[in-house]
Amino acid sequence: MTDALVLDNVTKRFGEKVAVNQISMRIPRGAVYGFLGKNGAGKTTTIRMIMSILYPDEGTISILGQPNAESLKDRLGYLPEEKGLYKKMKAAEILAYFGVLKGLDDAVANERARHLLTKYGLGENIDSRCESLSKGMGQKVQILGTIIHDPELVILDEPFSGLDPVNVEVMREIILDMKRSGKTVIFSTHIMAQAEQLCDYVLIIDKGHKIVDGSIAQVRGGGNSGIQLDYDGDGSVLHGLPGVSRVNDAGKHAELSLAPDADPQEILARLVGKIAIRRFDIREPSLHEVFVRAVGGDARE
Amino acid sequence: MSNKTWLVARREFIENMRTKAFWIGILAVPILIAASVIVPMWLEKAKDVRKYAVIDRSGWLLKAIEDRSKEPDFEKVLKKLFEAQSDPKIAEKDEHVRALLDKLDKDLGSLKAEKELKNEALEGFAKSLTENAELKDSMAKQAGAFYQELGTPEGQSVLAMLPEKAKEAVTRMRSAMVEWWRELPDDLSREYQDQSSRGRYERVEAAGTSDADLEALNKQISEEKLFAYFVINEDPVMNSDGCKYVSRNLTDKDLQNWFESAATGLVQEKRLEKKSIDRVTADWLKARTEFEEKQLSKDGTEKEVGKEDAIKQYAPMAFVYLLWIAIFSITQMLLTNTIEEKSNRILEVLLSSVSPLELMIGKIAGIAVTGLTTIVTWVISFIAIVKFIPMMMGKTSVDLTVIANDPLYLASFILYFLGGYLFFAALFVGIGSVCNSVKEASNLMMPVSILLMVPLFAMMPIVKDPNGSLAKFLSYIPPFTPFVMMNRAAGPPEPWEYAVTGVLLFVSIVLVTWGAAKVFRIGVLMTGKAPTPKEIVRWLKAPVGHVPHRD
Repeated sequence: MTDALVLDNVTKRFGEKVAVNQISMRIPRGAVYGFLGKNGAGKTTTIRMIMSILYPDEGTISILGQPNAESLKDRLGYLPEEKGLYKKMKAAEILAYFGVLKGLDDAVANERARHLLTKYGLGENIDSRCESLSKGMGQKVQILGTIIHDPELVILDEPFSGLDPVNVEVMREIILDMKRSGKTVIFSTHIMAQAEQLCDYVLIIDKGHKIVDGSIAQVRGGGNSGIQLDYDGDGSVLHGLPGVSRVNDAGKHAELSLAPDADPQEILARLVGKIAIRRFDIREPSLHEVFVRAVGGDARE
Repeated sequence: MSNKTWLVARREFIENMRTKAFWIGILAVPILIAASVIVPMWLEKAKDVRKYAVIDRSGWLLKAIEDRSKEPDFEKVLKKLFEAQSDPKIAEKDEHVRALLDKLDKDLGSLKAEKELKNEALEGFAKSLTENAELKDSMAKQAGAFYQELGTPEGQSVLAMLPEKAKEAVTRMRSAMVEWWRELPDDLSREYQDQSSRGRYERVEAAGTSDADLEALNKQISEEKLFAYFVINEDPVMNSDGCKYVSRNLTDKDLQNWFESAATGLVQEKRLEKKSIDRVTADWLKARTEFEEKQLSKDGTEKEVGKEDAIKQYAPMAFVYLLWIAIFSITQMLLTNTIEEKSNRILEVLLSSVSPLELMIGKIAGIAVTGLTTIVTWVISFIAIVKFIPMMMGKTSVDLTVIANDPLYLASFILYFLGGYLFFAALFVGIGSVCNSVKEASNLMMPVSILLMVPLFAMMPIVKDPNGSLAKFLSYIPPFTPFVMMNRAAGPPEPWEYAVTGVLLFVSIVLVTWGAAKVFRIGVLMTGKAPTPKEIVRWLKAPVGHVPHRD
């Protein structure tokens, strides 16, 4: 079976600016794939090219074996970064409308719309107008709109942004349900924890360039190991330790990146007595750490 | 139209139908038309019968007025008779006219059969009748005066000169007409006698002519038992000194006007009599030098000008207004709708299912159907109102059937709505796609709005000269074509003009839609400030899928 999606040296320019620069990747069918990058890194442009809303200037895209998404819009689900609904339409109506636009019969679309709303906790809002829904509810309706026609490939641009923790769980559940039924899910995010928990594969992109891609294990293994530290006390002692290339201090928790020749035991010895250590864990860097190291600057925008 | 375009159009139509604005729009015009026809009729009917008294010191004038008001205006009755005879449809529709025809049938026949009538007026009338020609206004006037005069002593002498058979026929006809008119319902009777008092004014007897009686009448007026009273002086033929009209309400002059004109007519007759001037001479002296209006039609034949022609002449203005309002309210809807979708960010979701072209065409089509629903409802209700209200409520003051029966007006209205809508819809949907807010759009709309005023300013000059050079020139400018061609309907323009301007309009609709599609495709995905005209030109040139760089 072919890959769900193959990008080969895809480049997109807006005038002088290169938004996406020679990106190549492949996404196997059935995978959950994360696009990671800062705002403006080129995630949305890449996704729009995948959806044939924009067209690459160079390179080729193969989606579900086709050269572009035009002919298979009905087999794809797409949640854009900017989300909106018709304010005056009822939740079930707009969901059914998304369904019929994807080729469902009116009756089937209506039935599925009601089913999905009920299943994912919006049963009471079936007949509510979209303008009366909360932001999170509205976003859920939209996400359901991307899967109502049971697509083979779903592309979600920032699906978690603006969701409260409860709805984040629902979102995760939706993605996992898709995965369980063998569908391919691509989503972009800048929240590394989400990607780490959900994705089989990730792509880190910055300023239009691919930094790294591969399975979570590959991406994390590619970086040097680090120390996860839980502590109480004055964190300033963490700075200037020998062999520590970078400190990411959150007050009670810190992540220390190690230089290749660093000795974790020496670092531990230096810290004992200065701060109260609750956990000292030598391990591969988190995705967050990998990301920050690769991209530089603060990823938590 | 692809399936998805249809789905977009369907949603657009259903959603629009749910708005209040749609229903207000669809109902407002029929209600206005109906109201403009019904309300004056109601007001007329709602008037109370006005009671008045007359103190007649002359001893003869009041009786003469009352006698005269019991007879119809013979000229009008004869005209109607003539119309009904040459057009069987009139009699078919109107049972009263049918009854009149039946009553007079035999006597008309004997008039026609008579070779020598020995009366100029009657001969002219009979001749027109025999030849089934048009009854000329002057002829009708003469014949009317003839029948009128039969009620007076001079009339009797004229009658005496007629051949025996004609004498009988004419006398019978006169009484048949009077009798027929008296049996007519009040509101219909007014058609055959201007300012007929029937059903409107009712005279109550005044006790006498003394000053005490006047006091009594004054009291009745202040108690509102009486609307007004007249005082006629001793010798109204000499002058009208001492003639009085007393009422509390001096704004409603109907009663006064009616009574005055009736009195004037009779007094004038007396004055003629006194100076031994015969009526024919008097009429001849009084006759105005009139120039009969004729409209020369295209094939060179002369046509008489009637009230209908005036309606036809000015009706296009009403249609242009409606067309203008309909097109711009509905394209405005499309504009705000597009901007809303864009600022709502729903467009991109839709674009993952439909192509920009499908979306744009779907939106334009959906709103076109919304607009057509409104327009067709207007047209149907207009026809219904014009045809059925008179049927239910009697004659209306303005008869619009001439418009309702003319396919040129109503068909142009619908077709030019569609043409104008499609042109401006494409323009507006393009503008809407590049704007993030209605405010931003209004800046871009400025030049368009100014352009749009042109057909309104040109409306009056075009109505006055529908085939003039201004009208012709503006017809060929596609954004104006629908309004100007509608405006010229009274002309009407030549068929080839319809064809050429129609083709021009069609071509420009295609061009504007093509341009709008290119702008739409880029515009809907664009955020930030609205593009400059220069940028838009670049977009028009850009190949599909290419998003040009923004400065």
